[in-house]
Amino acid sequence: MQLTEAIRDAFILLFSGDHVLWQIIWVSLKTSVVGLLAATPLAVAAGYAIGSHRFPGRRILIWLAQAALSLPTVLIGLLLYLLLSRQGLLGGLQWLFSQPGLIAGQALIALPVLIAFTLAAVQAADPRLAETAITLGASRLRVMLTVLHEVRFGVMAALITGFGRVISEVGSALMIGGNIAGETRTITTAIALETSKGEFAQGIALGIVLIAIALVINAVLVLVQGDARSAGVVS
Amino acid sequence: MSVLLSARGLQKQFGARPLFQIDLLEIEAASAYVLTGINGIGKSTLLRVLCGLEQAQCAQLEFDGQPFSLQPYPRVLRDAIVYVHQHPVMFASSVPANIGYGLAARGVAGAEIDRRVDDAMAWAGVSHLRHSRPATLSGGEKQRVALARARVLEPKLLLLDEPTANLDGAAREQVMALIPALIREGSSIVIACHDRDLIGLPGMQRLKLRDGRLHLR
Repeated sequence: MQLTEAIRDAFILLFSGDHVLWQIIWVSLKTSVVGLLAATPLAVAAGYAIGSHRFPGRRILIWLAQAALSLPTVLIGLLLYLLLSRQGLLGGLQWLFSQPGLIAGQALIALPVLIAFTLAAVQAADPRLAETAITLGASRLRVMLTVLHEVRFGVMAALITGFGRVISEVGSALMIGGNIAGETRTITTAIALETSKGEFAQGIALGIVLIAIALVINAVLVLVQGDARSAGVVS
Repeated sequence: MSVLLSARGLQKQFGARPLFQIDLLEIEAASAYVLTGINGIGKSTLLRVLCGLEQAQCAQLEFDGQPFSLQPYPRVLRDAIVYVHQHPVMFASSVPANIGYGLAARGVAGAEIDRRVDDAMAWAGVSHLRHSRPATLSGGEKQRVALARARVLEPKLLLLDEPTANLDGAAREQVMALIPALIREGSSIVIACHDRDLIGLPGMQRLKLRDGRLHLR
């Protein structure tokens, strides 16, 4: 039976410390985390600004952020590809088919997720929190930090969801990274490649890792929300 | 008595609907006022306008003898005027951090904050709540922590929005007991309320909002 053999080989690959396999996992984790962290300050600040202020065009921004959530990542990949290609606006960076390019793609994909989730958390916050901070004399920056601290569980949920989206996306990683072994080959692009070659063991091993990552980050999310409930932050 | 705050031609409207149109509001230094009026007449809104949480038109505004405009809300007023919500909210940090919040925002040194927070906690009778989680405090406890959080800043003008509403029994008595002490300390206070016992406190002047106009009694 081909499938059972493939699964057995997958576990052998995983537990024998196969260098190629673990390098792929390392590249995936590294580019996802760095991309996410690169997007976080801007996205959280933007989510806070949109969620807590009234200004003309605000609803358009909310609409765009939410619409960006449903964009396929290949489209983001295409956009970035055009920017980073030699004739593109950012061609001088020479980021195409490199880890910085891969990270830029992950950051772009994470951006709307982080904005939309932070925005929702800030909008759900009690408006008296910001008002209290203001009337007690806090600066704009301190008001922002205070409100973000109050909705920290929502911001954490944003980060966890954003990480889940970037680690599992394949479109942008394939187009921008180019699936170069040892350099820009990620878990998802490797699965796509190996499967197309008829090599299932590595694909299944990487699939198991992705599932494990999904289970772990969502366990963290459940724990965080449990803490939030017991702290009386969410009802 | 010197005038602490005077506002002429103070108007607030929601859309086309005028809420109030006040020819002259004068708050004297070191004086206490109750602001009465039926629900929805704009008492809370007036307090929120004075502390800069809501915008309004004002033809002429003076504070401590200096002319100001309401928009943008001036820093001098921000530092001198503190508003306390009807149902105050606590920051999730800790009870002492809540009380010291405004001092930290003003850049006061840590040791000085600790000293003034301890003093304010003793004053409000909340020293035993030092290690309680702010979210778990009762309504009366939150109100007392909020009063301590405002008092510690030694504001020139303190605006209290129905501080005893929805409190009863001992909780109400404990909050009531803090009000005369606040008045004696030399701040000016405006209390929006329906509470007859607060209205009847000695030395209280009475402002009444009716039909969009302010009357001093």
